[in-house]
Amino acid sequence: MTSENVKELLIRVIDSEALYQQAPCGYITFTTDGTIIRINQTLLSWLGHTAEETLYIKKFGDFLSKGGQIHYEMFFRPMLNVSGSVKELSYELHTKQGTVFHVLFGAVAIKDDNGQVIAVNAILTDNTDRKHYEQELLLARNQAEKEKRNLQFLADLTPDLIWTTTPDGEIDYINARFADYFQVPGRTFTQDQFLTRIHQDDRADFITAWADKLKCGDPLSHDLRLENHNGEYKWHLVKSVPHYSEQQEILKWFGSCTDINDHKLALTKKDEFISVASHELKTPLTTLMGILQVLERLKSNPSAPMLGEFIDRANKNAKKINSLVGELLNVGQLTAGQLRLNKEYFNIHELLDNCCQYVRTEHAFEIVIDGDPELQVYADAGRIEQVVVNYINNAVKYAPNSGSLTISFSKLTEDIKISVTDNGPGIPEEKIPYLFDRFYRIDHGGSQYAGLGLGLYICAEIVKRHGGRVGVDSELGKGSAFWLTLPITKY
Amino acid sequence: MESIIKRNNVNVIGNGEQVMLFAHGFGCDQRSWQFVVDAFTDDYRVVLFDYVGSGKSDLSQYSSAKYGKLEGYAQDILDVCKALSLRDVIFVGHSVSAMIGALAAVREPGYFKKLVFIGPSPRYLNDEGYTGGFERADLESLFEFMDSNYLGWSSTMAPAIMGNADRPELGAFLTNSFCATDPEVAREFARVTFFSDNRADLAKLTIESLTLQCDEDIIAPLTVGEYVKANTPNNELVILKATGHCPHISEPTATIKAIKAFL
Repeated sequence: MTSENVKELLIRVIDSEALYQQAPCGYITFTTDGTIIRINQTLLSWLGHTAEETLYIKKFGDFLSKGGQIHYEMFFRPMLNVSGSVKELSYELHTKQGTVFHVLFGAVAIKDDNGQVIAVNAILTDNTDRKHYEQELLLARNQAEKEKRNLQFLADLTPDLIWTTTPDGEIDYINARFADYFQVPGRTFTQDQFLTRIHQDDRADFITAWADKLKCGDPLSHDLRLENHNGEYKWHLVKSVPHYSEQQEILKWFGSCTDINDHKLALTKKDEFISVASHELKTPLTTLMGILQVLERLKSNPSAPMLGEFIDRANKNAKKINSLVGELLNVGQLTAGQLRLNKEYFNIHELLDNCCQYVRTEHAFEIVIDGDPELQVYADAGRIEQVVVNYINNAVKYAPNSGSLTISFSKLTEDIKISVTDNGPGIPEEKIPYLFDRFYRIDHGGSQYAGLGLGLYICAEIVKRHGGRVGVDSELGKGSAFWLTLPITKY
Repeated sequence: MESIIKRNNVNVIGNGEQVMLFAHGFGCDQRSWQFVVDAFTDDYRVVLFDYVGSGKSDLSQYSSAKYGKLEGYAQDILDVCKALSLRDVIFVGHSVSAMIGALAAVREPGYFKKLVFIGPSPRYLNDEGYTGGFERADLESLFEFMDSNYLGWSSTMAPAIMGNADRPELGAFLTNSFCATDPEVAREFARVTFFSDNRADLAKLTIESLTLQCDEDIIAPLTVGEYVKANTPNNELVILKATGHCPHISEPTATIKAIKAFL
């Protein structure tokens, strides 16, 4: 076949009018004011109109909602005039049946010799499926966004530092607490930055452990000290767990750092306490055992002159052990919340007088009690006596040369205050805040004063359960006043 | 001064002494004046600019706090006047810019000599005793149209879904297209424009003004043009034989003629 023949054949076979009318898209031509001058069958069928009721009668804008018309005037027309064409716009056409038909709407301007637009050729394609699909995607995206915001909110709410990393350990998310702890601007933090904030004594161990877990994919649990934005190191428990895909590949590591500083310090304190307590118990026990050995040897000679003295010493040491064990039991009760108060009205003066009896007999201390002899208080008399005796014993122990003690009590507006004042050396100011802490013992250089350091802690707990307060006023070289308050109203 | 020039993408052309300042309407930028400016450059010094958020303005300067009100856009006009030390300006504002110019002229009348309003509307929503042309539902339908044509162009899949913050290639596309308004900004600008009510400001105008009105404009119907004429001191109304809202684009010759007659 020659090319001439092919051309002829093509002209016979291809009916361009039929192609125009039956195209799978809509074709429309309208003048600058929108009057439709040509439209194909496809578009007419979408609109539900006939050519007769459309051509030269309808304007393109007639098939748009009012909002669509504004868009057409404000965006489409200026764009077409300036650019000469408009790419696919998403438009809604209103059909004769009152339904909405979604189209993608593209157009080319036909201009005269002066560049003035005289008509518009537009192509419209059916956009219904895509619109539907877009709608679904939009819903899915909104849902995902919502979930993300919820999770983010939760992650920022927890007191832990939360983070995630890529499979090879690069940090790709941190929560608000994390950013806050390290004062990270813009919420970005690299793994290296993190490593520099680990205490140098803990760093190497952590790097080894983390590299190991990254390789084998096992969860990590590691204690270390992290430097906060104030340069302070706090103990944290770092946990990290791999998140696997269905194909068993690691997608991400989820991690947290929990502040365990108080817990760590408490443990250290407890360890120290156990060693102190063992030592304190060991001393009288060793003495007691020595005396018992001597007594063993003397048992055949009950009339030995030293016997009485040895028994006295044995008793003294047994009492010492008993009192230490008593203290331990008290603390046990307090921490377990088992301390019961048997409250009653009692006369304060009488109670204080009672407390002093033993000091007066055993030590050469002058004790003055100062206060309204009629004043009563509603409290557990036995426990309050324990507190006051402890205060007095402390005064005798730490201010032995004081010679005299004043115990005063008075009624204030809301409570009753009892103070035990000595003329001893006083307590340095920086130590005062810790006096009532558990396991705290005043460092008095050379352990000449024995004890578990529990006495004042027990006192504070007893008074706290009464709804009162404890405290110390002290001046170096002048003396100290240990005080407690008890509420007047029944607590 | 430099910063304002850059922020608003200010361009100064033409040979005359007398300044004409052209302010584009909502959804457009300064290129919408291309069919008319040539008629003025021989005799006037023509100043063109883009509002912050439109065209090639510095988008980083956009803040909802400022541009959440038409006064924020009026400030852009005053800033341009101040930066270029303009005086006795002939201001030409299209669509919402007519009201933005009016607000600027009420606040600082010293900068202006004459005002030309093309298709102005002091209020788009109908109100008791006032026909603005629109009900709230009409505008909601427009906003939907805008949303589904997020980038003024939707040949890629689901543009409304993609978001655009971290897609610089879309930003590049935007700056190359006409009506280059950032989608978020456009959304806010549309609300500011269509929900504004500046009827009370018309009476405060002291500068002589011209209203150019198309005889078939669904956005600013004839009644609105008549309202402007009736309520603005020293206002002249000229009705153009044109359809649509942008006579300076669709009927540039008639528009130029009407402006020149007023000057």
